[in-house]
Amino acid sequence: MTVNRRKKPASVNPMKIGQSLGAVLALQGCYRAMPLIHGSQGCSAFPKALLTRHFREPIAVQTSALQEMDVIFDANRNLEEALNLVLSKHRPDIIGIIGTELTDVAGVDYQNMLKSYKRERNLRGGLAFSVVLPDFRGSLESGFSSTVEAMIDEMIQQVGHRGQRSVNARQITLLPGSFLTPADVMELKEIISSFGFEVIALPDISTSLSGHLLTGFSPLTRGGVPLDSMLQSLQSGLTIAVGGSMERPARRLHNAIGTPYKVFEGAMGLKATDELLHFLHQISGEPVPLRYCWQRENLLDGMLDAHFQFAGMSVVAALEPDHLHSVSGWLEELGVEQKALITSFETPLIAGMKREVWVGDLDDAEVLGKGADLWISNSHGIAGAQRTGAAFMPAGFPVWNELGAYMSVSVGYRGAMEWSNKAGNLFMQREAGSRESSVRHR
Amino acid sequence: MDPLRQDEFDSQACGSIAPKAKPCPRPKPGEAVGGCSFDGAQITLLPIMDAAHLVHGPIACAGNSWESRGTLSSGPSLSQYGFATDLTDSDIIFGGEKKLKDSIDYIAGRFAPPAIFVYSTCVTALTGEDMDAVCKEAADRIGIPVIPVNSPGFVGSKNLGNRLAGDALLQYVIGTGEPEPETDLGVNLIGEYNIAGEMWDIEKLMNSAGIAVTSRITGDARYKEITWAHRARVNMVVCSRALLGLAKEMESRYGIPYFEGSFYGAKETTYSLRQMAYLMNDREMERRVDRLTEREEARLGQELRPYRKLLRGKRAVLYTGGVKSWSVISALKELGVQVVGVGTNKSTEDDVRRIADRVGDDTEYIPEGGASRIIKTVRERKADIMIAGGRNMYVAMKEQIPFIDINQERHKAYAGYEGLLRLAKELTYSLANPIWKLAASPAPWDKEAPPYDR
Ligand code: SF4
Repeated sequence: MTVNRRKKPASVNPMKIGQSLGAVLALQGCYRAMPLIHGSQGCSAFPKALLTRHFREPIAVQTSALQEMDVIFDANRNLEEALNLVLSKHRPDIIGIIGTELTDVAGVDYQNMLKSYKRERNLRGGLAFSVVLPDFRGSLESGFSSTVEAMIDEMIQQVGHRGQRSVNARQITLLPGSFLTPADVMELKEIISSFGFEVIALPDISTSLSGHLLTGFSPLTRGGVPLDSMLQSLQSGLTIAVGGSMERPARRLHNAIGTPYKVFEGAMGLKATDELLHFLHQISGEPVPLRYCWQRENLLDGMLDAHFQFAGMSVVAALEPDHLHSVSGWLEELGVEQKALITSFETPLIAGMKREVWVGDLDDAEVLGKGADLWISNSHGIAGAQRTGAAFMPAGFPVWNELGAYMSVSVGYRGAMEWSNKAGNLFMQREAGSRESSVRHR
Repeated sequence: MDPLRQDEFDSQACGSIAPKAKPCPRPKPGEAVGGCSFDGAQITLLPIMDAAHLVHGPIACAGNSWESRGTLSSGPSLSQYGFATDLTDSDIIFGGEKKLKDSIDYIAGRFAPPAIFVYSTCVTALTGEDMDAVCKEAADRIGIPVIPVNSPGFVGSKNLGNRLAGDALLQYVIGTGEPEPETDLGVNLIGEYNIAGEMWDIEKLMNSAGIAVTSRITGDARYKEITWAHRARVNMVVCSRALLGLAKEMESRYGIPYFEGSFYGAKETTYSLRQMAYLMNDREMERRVDRLTEREEARLGQELRPYRKLLRGKRAVLYTGGVKSWSVISALKELGVQVVGVGTNKSTEDDVRRIADRVGDDTEYIPEGGASRIIKTVRERKADIMIAGGRNMYVAMKEQIPFIDINQERHKAYAGYEGLLRLAKELTYSLANPIWKLAASPAPWDKEAPPYDR
């Protein structure tokens, strides 16, 4: 309907997150990868600390460690040094060079530098690409999807000249958006493969950030989709993108090698899951597996049980664009009032939403969501929720006040069930709390 | 370039203006660890809880860093708000000064803080904005101090940022106010940030010896108290070499004697309290301190007994940049824990000497960062536990090494006598947790002989 902004010069309690962090996250989903941030060391230390705090996992990332004089004179000397060191010491399969606002403002041309570096060193067999991600545009979501796009570009270039592509109709490439947890990606892979497809998720954080105990220390990523599977994905008969932001990488695959694609704006809630399963049923010709039929019944029954809790309740949600869109759809099904929806930046998906959305920060959530019963945002929102008296439900990134947040499922019937129960329980506890405090002691 | 920064480049001093300080090593591209100077400046100033802290730059510097420290407040919480000018493309092209000015006005109007700290970041430093002028103009206009903190990330390490923040305090804050008449003057605590509430334990201890805290620089501080820091009788530099320059400058400017001390371990705590009383030149106070420390040490000895039994002979690898390694070593030694490996990447020569005084010959020095290096030391020296910062926590978990978090993100206070007891408990809990045995034992089906040849 409309996208609004409140007029204020400063960002107060930002929810927007630098694009480069999204890039680092995307690369965690590739096996033996090293994201290399072309900037000063803080630009890699902060994302590393924040991602570590959210996923409770070691995070692979390095920096070209620019200092003031390097920026002014020759920033690419640092990049070359960093590349030399990373290549000789760790031998990654994948390197993603992430340009920052610093290299952007200084006008550093690292794209060409990377090209000649690859030519001179005769770099073959690995995947090295660069992506321009200054922090004064977009947010985590755009950084993530741009990185996937750049990755796909590089893959296509590497194998593109090898002539006719053979297509494997039983193989699907899944492009999961940045708002999906490792458990979400896992669930989507399972759903799709239950219809008899091979699935290659690109990237695949479900095997790298889901908390497995691989021993043996490595500064590279310790899980995710391996390079040969990535390249093999170019033979997929279909691309499924989840999240509006993943449409561009899907389209890139389509334009370059002709892979048809289907975009699901989200996979959260009854209707969205219905759509996904119906689609898979149609293209595979397989029946919907019994367990999903059961889960559907369970969900509907659960929603019936819970609808007393949701009646008359209102919610404020502040999330990244794709995520907000999904969550709003789910809230719709619960029949609660959506008091205010806030997101970090404007995307076509957001602009096309039927509801009013505000681009802003968590302070806007506090002001516009005043009086809401439930507050959904990342952990930075705890204080705001407290001040407005809303129950707090952590979601998005970063979440640090809850164990296992990265393993919670939001997609499919199972995810809708989990979220509905969580929200319902919060309402119940809140009600019990207010009853308690209304008892007068003499 | 302003004179304070110039001196930085001349002496190449890292965190200290002492001539013996070794030069700041250039971070190695592809192998650098740790935060930037902007991060360091924030660490030092964010614990001023009632002030507003505005980050001038694109969103990531503020967006990725706010609410990441374990520094606690006993009252106001404005410093926990994330304020950023959040520069966009067009701000970069047309200049961000207007937005900065408007942001300052907005924050002053809406939150009425006693002061606003404005942090430069790489981009705003690079585009050559005159932040100092904007701040000065704004301060005059709105009538509250607006303090520029010139510590963009790319000038160097976190330590340097600590120091640049100290410079900002010297230049703009300290000496600009006078204490309220009834204030009891005593000691400034410099470089104590109230991580996990350590400041409160320390203050309680000082108060029971009759020693007043004049200004907290900056753990759980209020802006006002720092303006009168120049009236203190003694400065104590707590576990932060980077702010030694601040103490030195205050000695020469205001004649306040200073000493370096720590509150990690009973011995260091006792020493620090004694130093305070001694430098205050107050016999009665010294006697009170003696009585207090004797009593506390005796009580602590009793309470520690069961833990000492369990901890004796245990081996630890200590890797910390945030707090002085040597003082933590003392604390561990008091518990009977042997330090078999210690990080020295951020230590000065003085620190290394102090470390050498406290550890045995077979202790390995780990001069450079990198998780693999730490883990190697743990394995080779057969250490039982790793004590390091949050960054390395999950690396240790993957390797199934018991771990204790010692840096700014931690939730446990280890300072003072109470803190030592807490440290002993944490070490014991960590070592005795059943998870280590469970994680090390394979699933039952993996114990069987493989059914086929693998
Ligand atoms: S290095 Fe510069 S741009 Fe990066 S986080 Fe630090 S201040 Fe910000």
